Amino acid sequence: MRSRAAASILARGGFKEVYSMEGGIRAWKGLAAGGAPEAGMAYFPPDSSPSKLTALAWLLEKGAQKFYGEAASELRDSGAARLFADLAAAEEKHKDTLYRTHLEMTGAADDPQFPESVLPASAAPEYMEGGVEVAKALKWTRGKSPEEILEFALALEVNAYDLHLKMAQRMTDSRAREMFARIADEEKGHLNRLQEHFIRLMTPA
Amino acid sequence: MGVLDYFRPVSTLPAEKIRALLNEKKTGEYNLVDVRQPEEYQAGHLPGARLIPVGELESRLKDLDPNKPTIAY
Repeated sequence: MRSRAAASILARGGFKEVYSMEGGIRAWKGLAAGGAPEAGMAYFPPDSSPSKLTALAWLLEKGAQKFYGEAASELRDSGAARLFADLAAAEEKHKDTLYRTHLEMTGAADDPQFPESVLPASAAPEYMEGGVEVAKALKWTRGKSPEEILEFALALEVNAYDLHLKMAQRMTDSRAREMFARIADEEKGHLNRLQEHFIRLMTPA
Repeated sequence: MGVLDYFRPVSTLPAEKIRALLNEKKTGEYNLVDVRQPEEYQAGHLPGARLIPVGELESRLKDLDPNKPTIAY
């Protein structure tokens, strides 16, 4: 999933022919891939309006918030569990930022129906960044090592970073553009924190 | 339009297809990028792969030739 996010960054950077390797190095070595749930990359139909993209981002933040909140209790590492709780709180703030931007763009005083007021509610399950189903991801975390769960979260945050940068590019409204760029920066901060902890787990003192 | 309409798969190739692609091309005709962490790279990587951790990729795109086929893993 990290390689898919990388492929997306490369494609956005103007690279002509980009591939990611299915199953990563485990597949190359011929080992059975016990990989995390596979994901698609965010795609923006040309007609998606800034309002729709903002609502989409809100739904994905909600999914990520749920994932971090619930996965925290699965983590057999107290430092990683605290980090996940922090990330869940950060996603809550992002939701609020997105909602306020939605109000600014529409000029409404409030919109209690958001995001359904923009993106019709569907029977589809909850998703988070990378197009991963929250319930599937949570099911996958059961019994996994902190390293495996952190590696998955790393991939999620790279996806989130890439997604928000793409959103920023698509925004015609300057406030929305700045807001998405700011969220992208914060996702990058999350990525760094996850990386630091991942490396700490991989290199025992 | 539902949330799922906003996702589509990227081009992923199975390991054997990547192996074939690398075999038919000369070194230097493609970019092979290991986007994992340095510790993972040191533990083992594909021959000729260049390490660019995914968090640094955005700022290091200029290190790679965008006209060559690029494989990330």
